[in-house]
Formats: sequence, structure tokens, C-alpha cells
Amino acid sequence: MARQGDDGPLVGRTGTLTDIQSNLRNVGTGGTAAVFVTGESGVGKSRLLRETADALRGSGFSVLFGTCLDIGDASPLHPVLQALRRHDGAGSTSAADDAGALLERVSRDLRTIAGDQQLLLVLDDLQWADRSTRQLLLYLLAGLGDVRVSVLAAIRAEALHGTHPLRRVLAELRRLRTVRVVDLAPLSQDQTRELVTAIVGGTVALEDADRVFKRSGGNPFVVEELSRDLRDGRVELSDTLREIFLSRVDELPPNAHTVVHAIAAGVEPIDHAVLAGVVPLPEDQLIEAVRAAVTHRFVASDRDGYKLRHRLVAEVLEQEVLPAEAASLHRRYAETLESLDGEPDNARLAFHWQRAGEPDRALPPVVSAARAAERLYGFAEAHRYWTIALQLSTESDHRRTELLGHAAESAHQCGEHLLALARLEELAGRPDAPGQSELHLRRARYLAAAGRSATAEVEYQRALEAPDCTPRRRASAAAYLAELLLHLGRYADANQHAREALELAAVNGATTDLVRASAALGFSAAFREDPDAGLAVIRHAVEIAERSGHPDDLGVAYLHLAELLAGPLNSIEEGVLVARRGADLLAARGVGRTYQTRLLAIAAKGLFRNGQWSEAYAVLETAMRNHPSGADAVELLLARSQLWVGFGEVDNARRDLDAVATLLAGGGARHVLPMLTLRAGLAMWQGEHAEARTAVQRGLTETRSDDLVLLGVLAWHGLRAEAEAYVAGQPNDHGAIRRLRTVMDRLVKGVGDAPPAVRAVVDGYLDLCTAELSRIEDRPDPEPWARAAATWDRRQQPYPAAYSRLRHAEASLQRRIRRPAAITGLRQAYAAATAMGARPFANEIVGVAQRFKVTLGEDVQVLAPAGPERAADELSALTGREREVLAAVAEGLTNREIGELLFISERTVGVHLGHIFDKLQVRTRVQASRVYLTAA
Amino acid sequence: MTQPIWGPVQQEMSELLQRHPDDVPGVVDLLAQIQVVLCRVPPLLDSNPLADFNKLYLTITENVLERLYAGKFKDPAFLARLDVEFAARYFDALRYWTEGSPACPGVWAGLFCRIPGPDARALPSAVAGVNAHINFDLPFALVTTFDHLGSDPVDGSDQHHDYLQVNDIFAEEIPGLRRGYLDRWQLLIDTMNGDLDDWWQGEMVEYTRNVAWRNAQKIWAIRHDLGALDKERRRLDNTATGLGKLLLSPFGGFLQ
Repeated sequence: MARQGDDGPLVGRTGTLTDIQSNLRNVGTGGTAAVFVTGESGVGKSRLLRETADALRGSGFSVLFGTCLDIGDASPLHPVLQALRRHDGAGSTSAADDAGALLERVSRDLRTIAGDQQLLLVLDDLQWADRSTRQLLLYLLAGLGDVRVSVLAAIRAEALHGTHPLRRVLAELRRLRTVRVVDLAPLSQDQTRELVTAIVGGTVALEDADRVFKRSGGNPFVVEELSRDLRDGRVELSDTLREIFLSRVDELPPNAHTVVHAIAAGVEPIDHAVLAGVVPLPEDQLIEAVRAAVTHRFVASDRDGYKLRHRLVAEVLEQEVLPAEAASLHRRYAETLESLDGEPDNARLAFHWQRAGEPDRALPPVVSAARAAERLYGFAEAHRYWTIALQLSTESDHRRTELLGHAAESAHQCGEHLLALARLEELAGRPDAPGQSELHLRRARYLAAAGRSATAEVEYQRALEAPDCTPRRRASAAAYLAELLLHLGRYADANQHAREALELAAVNGATTDLVRASAALGFSAAFREDPDAGLAVIRHAVEIAERSGHPDDLGVAYLHLAELLAGPLNSIEEGVLVARRGADLLAARGVGRTYQTRLLAIAAKGLFRNGQWSEAYAVLETAMRNHPSGADAVELLLARSQLWVGFGEVDNARRDLDAVATLLAGGGARHVLPMLTLRAGLAMWQGEHAEARTAVQRGLTETRSDDLVLLGVLAWHGLRAEAEAYVAGQPNDHGAIRRLRTVMDRLVKGVGDAPPAVRAVVDGYLDLCTAELSRIEDRPDPEPWARAAATWDRRQQPYPAAYSRLRHAEASLQRRIRRPAAITGLRQAYAAATAMGARPFANEIVGVAQRFKVTLGEDVQVLAPAGPERAADELSALTGREREVLAAVAEGLTNREIGELLFISERTVGVHLGHIFDKLQVRTRVQASRVYLTAA
Repeated sequence: MTQPIWGPVQQEMSELLQRHPDDVPGVVDLLAQIQVVLCRVPPLLDSNPLADFNKLYLTITENVLERLYAGKFKDPAFLARLDVEFAARYFDALRYWTEGSPACPGVWAGLFCRIPGPDARALPSAVAGVNAHINFDLPFALVTTFDHLGSDPVDGSDQHHDYLQVNDIFAEEIPGLRRGYLDRWQLLIDTMNGDLDDWWQGEMVEYTRNVAWRNAQKIWAIRHDLGALDKERRRLDNTATGLGKLLLSPFGGFLQ
């Protein structure tokens, strides 16, 4: 944090500076890049940040500078909002509908500042950033904010030694091509000599320079200070930084001495008006004192206010201020801050009152800060404030019960399960504690969230049995319990409790409980092989939600119905319809953005499985326009990557997978496996079988044993990669194959206890695995492939079915058996592949056809790879699929005929036409045909 | 630095430590390569105390990887993350030592500075490394892993179960390693009280690993308080450093 103006020369960092600049310019296809500079205090991180910002400013970059506060309890998104305020005087602190909307609003402000330039967001002292800021950073780096941003941040290495959350974040981000972590090392002996000479000027005795090196350990900040002592002719060099600065403190004029101590007690940066309140001096004397403090290199001043020149100086001074002196300074800070006009700075007020030894006066600002954090969806920060509030209140304080309630709930919301439970225990022990049933219910919810299902179940039961349990609460508890049992796979019990909850809720309950109970009942019925009854219940819940009209009820009810249809019941098409209807309904009312996003994700995944890829793409585009964040964004990006992999759009797939990895750096283990599976799929299409193998093998170490479906997909990818490698004449990894066989055994064992819906899918993947093994073992056998094709046909999933047909045909042709059937299968597979737009797959089929001299049909061509070489005419906005539809329209075919030609439903043709009309800005088929014929 | 810390293999060591493996196969691979380089550090070559530890650690991590592949853990995602995070701390310590940085934890520095000699027995040397890694690194690695996965260190959880399973691996590997070092004379002693010794060794690891779990729970509660965390870190480092000194002293020789 050394300041401008009186810096020594920059020694030994030229290469680093150049590298950092080129890394920040080197944005990937996602338009983002990041450099994290780590190093110990005084090693020159802030200096490097400043130099880089100066060099890039005006050369295509718009620069925004933010600093994190070290009081450990700043407000959510502090450094970024502060940077925005500093830039144009207004940050986006106004309330937003949800956390995602807030991120989007901040992104919009950042976009405005960037204009048509790349934004350079510089963040110093990132180790003090709150959780919301870390999440915003990942959101921006994943490209979700649509901001072309390069992030440059400094982190103190000392902070990373322990358990700092940034440790894992950096470890995960390191893998990405667009992220660099620069570890800034101390200066070498030669570099130290150079710096000493530059500061002292003229010639320096070698032994003096080496003495500086020995004492400073090459830390540039210490080197500079020692060199100044040397220059100023201090005879004996100080051994420590402490000694340097203590001797300088003694040389300060008395008023400057006061100013330095006052600043050391404050939260930097300190406004001049605040300092004037804390240091009672006439204005001219105060200014003179500050000037002296600056001259003596203690204080730096910029337009934000005053700061100590370096964190290391602050650490020296902290020990020099007497406790009583410090308390009095804090009191004056608090009083001054309170007397200022405008919105109170609650974080600072709380900080100073606490240290002034006035817990009673600290409490109100702490509570305000907690509530303000909750309004910004900073649950972790809110939780910190509620915790401080508890520390400030004594056992006998009548406010303590309420504070405990908030502290417990906020801990639950930010995932601090153990703390939430501990707070709840204390709450239960209060004389004015809430009733038994409420306590049991809350404890059960916290336990369930912590994954402790068995104890949670007991607590729900206790809540139900508590004498003070109102019917309404009983309904709630029973509904929650049913939901828990459903997750545990105890469908009969879930069913029973759901019924009970439903009866109670129907008479005397909230719609939310009604919907929750219905969903549990519906799913449990469906899993117990009574799908119709299950569907009826959930449909009924949808009706109730539609009547209530509350966005949460509507969203949840539609989600459950769509999930049941598209998931366990495998009525994909209907599931997609329901999901889209729900999303449209919510969109029309302008509410429930998160639910819209989730519903659209279900629709897109269903469309993908049904082979309607271009439509899936369109749905995903709509969903992305909602600017999702967190897990929702991960789901959508994964779904889109799956499409890109299928389409063979390598760059886009890579970009989205990198974005997923960026978001997962903030946590989210359950999405790691799908990401690795897609990486393997992408690598296979590129012939990188070893890379595919690595991804799969890593996936094997990161599964949860109950993820049977995910494990099934992964195992198939692994075996397929080995088969492809074998066919391509590349070496196989027999250890890997052996492990994949073990996984197959586990799957076979696991599906025995799984619900029928899961069993059906896993069986499909096991078929594929078995069939791939026959390829690896070089015994071409059409049989297992025929079985796999039949399974996937039954599940109405054209992609794996067509893949099985291709391999079936290939094996038959190799063995020279049933050639006509093989040719038919190959043609079917090809038709399916082209209908989906699965270019790499179609090309593979063409390859096999050519190898065995099979004609796939008239004028079959290898599909051109997607991408930039598409014609840049009016039609360039259309997807390949849309062009096919348009060509057929221009030939005068009806929707039905086009559907038959392209193996898609009539309705889908209609949807494509809608998109074509939009993109070409026409209204009729005739107009569209004209555009096509002119361009073609 | 006037004298490269790793002597003739300084460059290779620095280059290896540029890597930051992010999965268990990557950790195994790096440990294996470090082993090769360690065995070339003069004057003790493959009998230097760090090589003894690294070899044991490599064997144990290979075993963990095999169990991960075989689906033997309840929550492999947790264990895989923990393993990577755990190893990262050993690699960090090596990196600090290589750079001559004061950030190298005392307990590791105590073992590293014995690389040139005097020679210590293989078993106490390996155990001194185990001490540093378990008593100091493990609690922090646990906390970081839980924090990242968004769950808490709860007794009796799936994660706790998996964590305890690693004790079995230590128990399996340490007697095996022990026999690998025996000469005839020691074989005689071993036949006389072998079981007892094996029990003692297994017990020690199990004991310290439980302490690590308890310490992790303690750190978990204060993980947002950087000051308190730093204090706890120093406390753990000091305790472990003391134990490490004992293991590398002539007294440690009695273990083998």
C-alpha cells in the first residue's frame, strides 16, 4: 500500500510487469482475464498494481480501483461498490429482487464505465474481501455479467497460509488459461544492491548494500527504508522495521504525532472532516500536522482521505498506542461519525463504539448493518454482524432472545450449520424462548440442511408431537418431513407423511406447505410405480398455486411437475411443455426470475435428450438473458456446453466449460462430474483420447457413490475413450479399463436398490459400457449394440440410440453379416445426426460409410464444421437447422412435410419458423423465401 | 542465497514445485517425481530423512487413490479434495524452503534442515514427516476442504467415516515400511516384540489423526477471525515442532 509520489525506483520487476500486462490483455473467447498477485507484506504488490493500471489506462482499458477494508466486517460487495461510487458518485446499493438481480445491476454499472473498452478492475488487499465480493468476481470472470473485464488483484501471502477461502479459489482458478497467479518473491542480492544504490545515490559500499539485503531479506519496502537511513547518514542500521519507525516517531512534532496515532486507530481511508473531529486542532495547525506526518513518511494522502503509508507501519504503531488512549480515540471517531450528515456508516460506527468500550452504543449500528447486509443478500456478512451483536449483549439483556433468533437463522442461511444449531440451543435455554414445536421444527430444518437426516427426522417427529403444535405448524412439519424422507428414498413413509400434511394444509395451511406436501406425495407415488396418482396430485398443486398466484408457489409447483415428467416418468416432451409454460407464465407476470431460469433449464435439457437441439439452444439463450448466477448459472452453462459438444463447436464449448470451472471455484462439488464428462466428450471428438481419459479418471475420484446416473455417463465416456483410442491405434491404459470395469460392477450392484426411473437410465448406460468393451477387446459384436439401441429407442433419446446404431452397423460390416440391415441402421443414424445438427457425429458416420463403401443417400456431404466460415450474408444469423427449414419453406413445403423431411415435430417446425421470421425481420413465408432465394 | 538449498538438484526441484496438482493422480505423480529428485540430494542420497517421509507419503497416497477408484469411500469428492489440499501444504512448505522464505512452517523446517545430515533412522525420519503433516497441515487442510464443499466437520458424518478410513491405510503401510528397513539384527528384535511395535506405530498415527480432527473442529469455529487463526497456527506449529525435534533426536532411534 505504499503511495505514489515518493516511491523508489521499481527494481527487478520489469519482466513481471510485462507478463502481467500481457496476461491481462490476453482475454480468452469469454472476454475475461485475471491476474492474482500474491506475496508477503512489503514485497511490492500494491506498487505493481498501480504501475500496471497506469500502463494500461488509456491503451484500450478503462480502469476501476477498489480496496478491501481490514475491519473484517465490511458491507457486502464493499470494494466494488466503493470503486463505483468513487467513479461516478453513485453505487448500486438500492434494493434488488434477489442476489442475482443485484449482481446484474452491478455488472450493468461496470459495463457503462467500460464503454467500448476492456474494463480493468483492480482490487487491492483481496484477502479482506467479503464472500459476496468473491462471488461477484467469479460471476464476472465467468462472463455472466457481460462485462469485458480483466481483474487484477493483490493478496497478502500471509493470509493464505491458514484456511483462507481464497486458497481453494486460487487453486481451482489456476487451471484456467485466462487466469494467472503471480507469486511475487523478495528481491535477490543483486537486485537489492541496485535498489540501495538508486536510493542512496552515488556509490554505496558493497558491504553496506549486503547488510541491507541481510536485514531486509530482500523485502523492497524494508530495503527502501533502510536505504534512506543509510542515505541520511544514520550510523547504525536498524535491525527491524519497528526500530526504524519508532525512531522516526520520536522525531515528529507533537501535533503530527497525535495525527499519526489518530490515523492508526481509524479505519482507512480517513476523511479530512472525520480527522478534524477526532484531532481537536485549529484547521491550519491540523493541516500543518498532517503535512509533517506526510513528510516523515508515515501518512499518505489521496482523494479518498488519509492512510498510513504501509500496512507494516500500522502494525508497528498499533503496539505503541496505550489502551486508554485507543479507547478515547475510538470514542471520538464514533462521536464524529455520528455527528456527520447523510447515511450513517454503520460498519465503522459499530467498529469504533465497540473498541471505545461502549457495547450499548455499538449495538444499534451493528443491528442496522446486519439488516442492510440482508437487504443486499450478503447472508455471510449479516451473520457476522448478528454474531457481533450477540457478543455485545449480555445474558440479562432483554434483546438477546431476538438477537439469538436472527443469529441462528442467518447462520442457517449462509451454510454455517453447526453455528446455527449452537445458537438455537442457546435460544432454547432462554426464559422467553419460543415454544417447543417451533424450536424442534427449526432444529430439524437446520439438521436437514447439515445433511444429518436421521436426527432431523427425530426432530420433525418431536415437532409434530409437541403439545403446543398448531395445525398450521403441524402441516409445515409434516410437509418438511415428507420431503426429507423422499430424499432418503423412503417412499412409503414419505407418502404417509405427505398425505397427513396435505390433509392438514388443505384445512388450515399455507399454500407453500400445500405445494411442498403435494410434491412429496406426487414423487413418492410415482416412485412407488403409481405414476398417474402422483401426477394427479402435483397437477392439483399447480392449480392451487395458480390460484394463489404467489411467484414462489407457482415456481415451485411448476418445477416439481416438470421435474417429475421429464425425470422419473420420462415423458420428456410433456415435461418440456410444462416447464416452458411455467416459465412463460412467470415471465408474463414479471416475477420469479430464478424459477424461470430453472424451468427453462429443465426444458433445454429435455429438448437436448429428445434430439431437438436447435430448440434447446434457443431456450438456453432465453434463460441466459435472465442473467442467472450461482448454481443456476452452472446448470445452464453445462447444458449449453453439452449442445456445443454435440454441435462440434469446440471454442464455444471450451469457453462455457471454463466459465463453469470459474464458478465452481467458489464451491459446488456436485457439478464437477458433469463438467469432467463434457470435457471428456469434447476431447474425444478432437481425437485427444488421452485427455479424455484423464478427465474421466479424475471424475472417478470425485464422484459421490449415490450418483448412479452421473457415474454411468462417466463410465461410458471412459470406455468409449479407450475404444476410440484402440481403434485409432493409440495405446490403451489397462489400469483405467480395469477401474472402469469395477465401476460397472458397482453400478450393477447399485441399481438393484435404485428407483425404477434411475434403474432404467443406468441400465441404458451399462448397455453402452458393455458394448464399448467389445470394441476395446477387438471382437466386433453387433449384439450388445442392438440391445443398447433398443433401450435408448424405448427411452426416446435419439442421440445415444443413433450412436448405438452406428456401432451396430460398423460391427456388422466388419463381421460381414447382415449387410442390408447394417446399411439401413447407418442411414437411420445419419438422418438422426443431421436432424440434430450433430456435426462431428455425422462426420463419423460418413467416415464409417466410406470405409465400408456404403451410400448414405443422395448427395450426402460431410457437414461443414460450424463456425466463422458460414456465409456472412443475411442468412448468417440463422442456425444450420434454421437454414434447413428455410430451404424447405422456399421449396414450398408445408410444416408437416418439413417435419417429416427433417424428423422433427410439426410444432418444432413452427418454432423454427418463428425464430427465422424474427431473425430475418419478416412476417410471411413468402417474404422469408424471397430472402433465402436472394441470398442463395 | 549464496548456496542453493538443494545443491545440484536445485533447478529440478524448483521446476517440479512450479506445479500445483489439482487432483489425486496429479499429487501421486508429483510425489513420485520429487522422490526421484530427493534421492539425488547429497550427501545422504536416498537415505536422507525427507526421502524417507516422501516415500511413505507416496505409498499412502497411491493407496488412497486406489481406494478412490474402487469406490471405497462414502464421499470420494470430499476425500479427493482433502487429499489435494493436504498435499498442497507439503508442496507449499517445500516451495518456501526452496525459496528460503521465512514463511516455511517451523515443523517442516526442522525436518528439511536435517536433509544434509546427520543421518537419522529411516522410521523416525518418516514419522517426523508424518508428524508435521498430520499435526500441523491436516487440521487446516480439513477446514479448507469443508469450507469449499460447504459442509461442516461433524462427528459420525460420511466425511468423518472416510477420514477415519485413512487411519487404516497408515496402519497398513507403516508396518510394511518398517519391515522394508530391517537388517538381520533388527529382524530378531522385531520377531520378539514386532507386534507391540507395530501397534505402537499404528496407535501414534491414529492418535494424532484424531487430534487433527479435533483441532480442525476448533479452527472451524474461529476460521473467520484471522487473528485468532494465526495464533492457533503458531500454537500448532510450536507443538508439532517440539515433537518433530524429539523424533529426529537420538531418542527417535529407539523407535526403529
